[in-house]
Amino acid sequence: MRSSRLAAPTALLAAATLVLAGCGSGSGSSGEVRLRMIESLTSPERTKLIKRLIADFEKANPGVSVELVSPPLDSADQKITQILQTKKDLDVLEVRDHTAKSFSNNGWLAELPTDAWPGWADLTDLARKKAVEVGGKPYLIPYGFYQRTLFHRTDWGLTQPPRTWQELYEAGKKMTTGDRYGYSFRGGKGGADYAVMMISAYNGEALDPEKSFFLKDKRTIFSTPEAAQALDLYVKIFKEASPPDSVSWGYPEMVQGFTSGVTGMLIQDPEVIKTVEESGVQAWSTAPIPKGPTGYAFQPVGYAGWGVTSFSKHRKEAVELVQFLSEAKQSIAFAKGNSLIPISRQAQNDPQFSQGAWKAYLQAQQDPQQVITIRPVDYPGWSQFTVDSDRDVQALITGKKTVAEVLASWDAFWTDQAKKVS
Amino acid sequence: MSSVARPAFTGRKARFIALCLLPGVIFVAVFTYYPMIRGAVIAFQRYNLFDLTSTPFVGLENFRSVLAEDRFWTALRNTGTWVAVSLFFQFFLGFGLALLLRRQFRGRGLYQAWVFFPWAMSGFLIGLLWRWMFNGQFGVVNDLLLKAGIIDERIGFLASPGWAMTSVIVANVWYGVTFFAIMIMAALQSVPGELYEAASVDGASRLRQFWHVTLPHIRPTLALIVLLRIIWILNFPDLIYAMTGGGPAGGTDIVTTFLIQQVIGGDYGRAGAVGLLVLGLLLSFSVFYLNVTRFERSR
Repeated sequence: MRSSRLAAPTALLAAATLVLAGCGSGSGSSGEVRLRMIESLTSPERTKLIKRLIADFEKANPGVSVELVSPPLDSADQKITQILQTKKDLDVLEVRDHTAKSFSNNGWLAELPTDAWPGWADLTDLARKKAVEVGGKPYLIPYGFYQRTLFHRTDWGLTQPPRTWQELYEAGKKMTTGDRYGYSFRGGKGGADYAVMMISAYNGEALDPEKSFFLKDKRTIFSTPEAAQALDLYVKIFKEASPPDSVSWGYPEMVQGFTSGVTGMLIQDPEVIKTVEESGVQAWSTAPIPKGPTGYAFQPVGYAGWGVTSFSKHRKEAVELVQFLSEAKQSIAFAKGNSLIPISRQAQNDPQFSQGAWKAYLQAQQDPQQVITIRPVDYPGWSQFTVDSDRDVQALITGKKTVAEVLASWDAFWTDQAKKVS
Repeated sequence: MSSVARPAFTGRKARFIALCLLPGVIFVAVFTYYPMIRGAVIAFQRYNLFDLTSTPFVGLENFRSVLAEDRFWTALRNTGTWVAVSLFFQFFLGFGLALLLRRQFRGRGLYQAWVFFPWAMSGFLIGLLWRWMFNGQFGVVNDLLLKAGIIDERIGFLASPGWAMTSVIVANVWYGVTFFAIMIMAALQSVPGELYEAASVDGASRLRQFWHVTLPHIRPTLALIVLLRIIWILNFPDLIYAMTGGGPAGGTDIVTTFLIQQVIGGDYGRAGAVGLLVLGLLLSFSVFYLNVTRFERSR
């Protein structure tokens, strides 16, 4: 029974710790302002970089100190949500594209002033657009963008990168021999995103980029015969040009597939550039993502940014920190360190972002038919759909569901969602 | 216990005891019972992360919508397979291991430590390790089978429903054998040595000793750890979640991974409903099980 004798002191200790932890933030003893900041996409290198930038901020703003909280990546957003629900002890936070809506809906984010801030004018159009995407007000300043590009081997008989999904399928089929496969297919977590990308490209001009699961005539993009053509090809790409095992592939496997020489093509975010550079693969290049027969390609741009809580006791200093991080010098350093598409106009002159593997991004930005879309993240069913649709895709490629069944259920889901929002 | 009269605590002494217990009671109440009760209440609310400003009570709607889904029933069936097959192999392999480790041999302490090591690792981490080991292209399992000539072609272990279930169960057995080995070894050590001496004087064979001395002695412990293990295996989505995420197409979904998906989907109300259903299931099973094994009286 030794454990029960220990229980009471242990509980007391725990309670005391909690009380002390509650006193953690707020003003220090010497009238100094202490800001508390939390990140979401935590990784060791990135945390180091943020700490360096924070140190610069502290140097430029004597009397202000910043404490950075770095929860583990997998549970970070849940943790941030929990802290926000208590409305305590948090001043600056990382807001991601898929958390922005719920954070602002629940009144947890403060509107950031942009008028008196010279840095605002230096942001790219995209950055300014994304800053006000939720609720029409700047609830966050993005720190960079993720967008997909096509990585491809140049020594596997490809004379030029495929420009359309049909070409990708044909090229992939040619590459598939023995232990080699054409395409790093994503059948596991996040797989449905690629199906949607193809369906969008096949719908072409009819698609409404601002509400990218819908056409301009308000029907869903899943309701058209073009959507069925796209999904048919999608299944063919899996069956004839991809590793059979890729039914369960998520992000790490698809990247590993490409860097280990199992697959010849991969569609992924810019952070993979670094991974491929460090791998054994020598002959490779990048190109904009393939288009549909319509001549269009659509993809959303992923982003995250810094925001200030609505209940911060030091809003002025918190806003200054966000603005500091978003100014050219700091934001370019951050984009470089994390392989992100930068938010500053000045980055276009930076050689790192205009050469080599990054050139495909510039190319895509200059092509009016490579369109950036907005996913319907502000519909109540969005999160549910991301879970359900991945499962549907696995059922589709393993033959448990037909193209028609999958499209019918996605069409019904989003027709219903449209009613809930309007 | 019941035959010994409890000393009566009165006045100052009673207050002092209550005061000492208070932090413990508060701690458990705040960190165990409050979340549990709050979770149960959420099950009857429309509680979607998308909009927490409006969370009305909706009666049994969450339960209705969960029970109306095929996916829930598939997950329930899979749960049966997952628990039964995992438990079977964990139990018998663990028992065997415990019997082997009971003997004295050089380096036994070290060997025991090695054997028990997996139990100290996080389920999620184990899941990630096995996910790569079972990978159809780069996995070491395929590599070994190919080199040993057992297969001619790589198997996509996590890509087909049957193989995926087998794979997650293999990983779970690997993980859980250790638990049974520890517990059964502890139980075996409680069997008095004189009983074996007496039995061998009476001419009982090894097998008979095991059957008539060892087993009856450790039976109550076995009954209890099997029950605990059933509950823990059912509440162990970490491994499956890391290895397959419940896929392919729900082939390895169990009720607790299904619950996680509700949380990720942002619908805490439905997640709460699934949680309560699982709780009800486990409670009724436990009552049934304890009645059948007559745990209390068998001592």
